[in-house]
Amino acid sequence: MTDATHGTPLRNKGKSILEVDARTKKRNAAEARFKGYGIAAIGISLFFLVSLLIAIISNGIPAFTQTFVNVEVELLEEKLDKNGNRDIADIKKVSTFGYKPLIENAMVKAAEGIETELSDKDLSKILSASAAAILRDYVIANPDQIGETVEFRLLTSSRVDGYMKGRVVREDLARDKNLDAAHLDLIDVMVERGAVERVFNWDFITGSDASESRPEQAGIGVSMLGSFFMMLVVLVLALPIGVAASIYLEEFAPQNRFTDLIEVNISNLAAVPSIVFGILGLAVFIQFAHLPQSAPIVGGLTLTLMTLPTIVISTRASLKAVPPSIRDAALGVGASKMQAIFHHVLPLAMPGILTGTIIGLAQALGETAPLLLIGMVGYIATNYPEGVTSGFLDPNSAMPAQIYEWAKRADPAFYERAWGGIIVLLVFLLTMNLIAIILRRRFERRW
Amino acid sequence: MEDMYQMDRTMSTEQDIKIRANGVQVYYADNQAIKDVDVEIQDKMVTAFIGPSGCGKSTFLRCINRMNDTIDICRVEGDIRIDGEDIYDPRVDPVQLRAKVGMVFQKPNPFPKSIYDNVAYGPKIHGLARNKAELDEIVEKALRRGAIWDEVKDRLHAPGTGLSGGQQQRLCIARAVATEPEVLLMDEPCSALDPIATAQVEELIDELRQNYSVVIVTHSMQQAARVSQRTAFFHLGNLVEFGDTDKIFTNPEDPRTESYISGRIG
Ligand SMILES: Nc1ncnc2c1ncn2[C@@H]1O[C@H](COP(=O)(O)OP(=O)(O)OP(=O)(O)O)[C@@H](O)[C@H]1O
Ligand SMILES: [Mg+2]
Repeated sequence: MTDATHGTPLRNKGKSILEVDARTKKRNAAEARFKGYGIAAIGISLFFLVSLLIAIISNGIPAFTQTFVNVEVELLEEKLDKNGNRDIADIKKVSTFGYKPLIENAMVKAAEGIETELSDKDLSKILSASAAAILRDYVIANPDQIGETVEFRLLTSSRVDGYMKGRVVREDLARDKNLDAAHLDLIDVMVERGAVERVFNWDFITGSDASESRPEQAGIGVSMLGSFFMMLVVLVLALPIGVAASIYLEEFAPQNRFTDLIEVNISNLAAVPSIVFGILGLAVFIQFAHLPQSAPIVGGLTLTLMTLPTIVISTRASLKAVPPSIRDAALGVGASKMQAIFHHVLPLAMPGILTGTIIGLAQALGETAPLLLIGMVGYIATNYPEGVTSGFLDPNSAMPAQIYEWAKRADPAFYERAWGGIIVLLVFLLTMNLIAIILRRRFERRW
Repeated sequence: MEDMYQMDRTMSTEQDIKIRANGVQVYYADNQAIKDVDVEIQDKMVTAFIGPSGCGKSTFLRCINRMNDTIDICRVEGDIRIDGEDIYDPRVDPVQLRAKVGMVFQKPNPFPKSIYDNVAYGPKIHGLARNKAELDEIVEKALRRGAIWDEVKDRLHAPGTGLSGGQQQRLCIARAVATEPEVLLMDEPCSALDPIATAQVEELIDELRQNYSVVIVTHSMQQAARVSQRTAFFHLGNLVEFGDTDKIFTNPEDPRTESYISGRIG
């Protein structure tokens, strides 16, 4: 009888463990290969992530600065208040058109001593079309300043701003009706003098959208509020409904065909394209319930429908993950089912529930397609809502809808703002994820 | 006079039957785990359930406080009465029943809360304490009875899950006795304990016998012999033999019992 007749179990008998045999070598090689694939996959994703971030930041950062020109404007009494009695009604009668001459004068003064071929009238073309309105608002608010010379910081036109940011070069201006190379020469000198400067643009973050001809004025603030009110609706509705439904389904509902059907449908709903929820929202909330179009409340309700399955699925998963022994322990000391769930199971499931909710909210925050159908995309959000009620009910846009709207417009200045808007949106999403992580850490307990 | 009356009562309840089970059948879906079991558990006594693994000891124990209700596929037939009242009567709220019939589980399962909260939870939900001082007292008493007070008295607010396995099990015992149940069901309470802690728990069981009726599942013959007055031997879902512990261990009637306690089947 030799060793060979004993077969496999004794094959390694007597071999040194200091030598790696062929089989082990093969297994180790397979492991090394697998690790290699994993690292390669992570490397590729990191590469794409970094390129995306670089693209977003390099394209979007310019939107956060804006070029202004400081000019001293003489608020001539004979133009603004002919009667001289500072009657506010009379002052209001002067339209923005009436402020044009003041601005022209101011620009002539600002360009004093600079050699330029431009006519006096053409000088003010470097300013944004919003300048007159800004002056008018100021005068209406401070009628006592009429007759004085006041220093204003006025927006330059988007072309000048683009020139400052390197987006516009002299060659581009050959076909431009508004701006000549001479304007840019003028700007160069004014920059040297310190009259023209590029500063951080708070108005981009807090301001409202502007008409197509004034990209320099457009901001994301109002649509941010729209998003905020929608998220409020989603949070207030989706979290309690979703959590309650999941607790019922997971802990109380009997296991039968009907609950199985519900379960399958919830999973399916999570995979339904968001535009379908949009059309559902249109049909139910606007056409049937007659809620106002383009209103954040409708957007919020529609997004709630979309977010619910996400919340239900993650909540059920985290309830399932709580060890049954905890339930037994609670029931064993005579707690009711409800007490066992609310005192013991829910706190343990909380991190998962919160993470799911915040992921659902983040999804909803970035969603554009359903808003398309309820009229929140394309709505020009130029006014702040007057209060909380009008915040919910008045037409508004939302951040992703606003970004889409800007990206659609022809002027490259809007394109820049679209990228800037994406940065704002991403900051919001990152903040939400951060909150999710903090909450999870907070609530996480060992068992 | 008063004393006489008390003594009289103790005397009479000594022989009382606390739990009476008749023709109990338990099914997990189509699989029958308990077959026609009749058992009488006396008050102020320790009854031990012994038997090989998978024979249905835990299943039967869980029938007594209706913990099997939580298992969807589990079906219980037959009649179980505590103090003459049918616990499977539709009018019975299992929550109320479980306050009366406490349980210590096979695997230690403290709540992921502080040691104090673990013990205080039961008394709190049943309203056993009127104020914080009373609650403190209940917690201390329970922890002392669970033979764990000395080890945890300085860290009552540390998490219960941070204790060792044996300490966790004693914490669970303390938690179970804190609600002052009338019956205490213990499913292998000592399987995670060292001999010293086991001795402490056995002492505790002996002490609990003064006030409660205790049912203990154990795999240790010696333990059954040490702590119990009555022993039930289960085999493949049947109750093979039930009687005084002394008799079962010295002079069993059924050959299966004999071979089990002498270590031949198991
Ligand atoms: N939740 C369950 N679902 C289905 N079958 C179960 C379930 N729990 C127990 N059983 C079955 O019931 C039978 C008895 O199990 P039980 O847990 O009562 O045994 P036991 O005597 O406590 O064993 P051990 O000593 O190993 O704890 C076993 O055959 C087991 O497979
Ligand atoms: Mg068991």
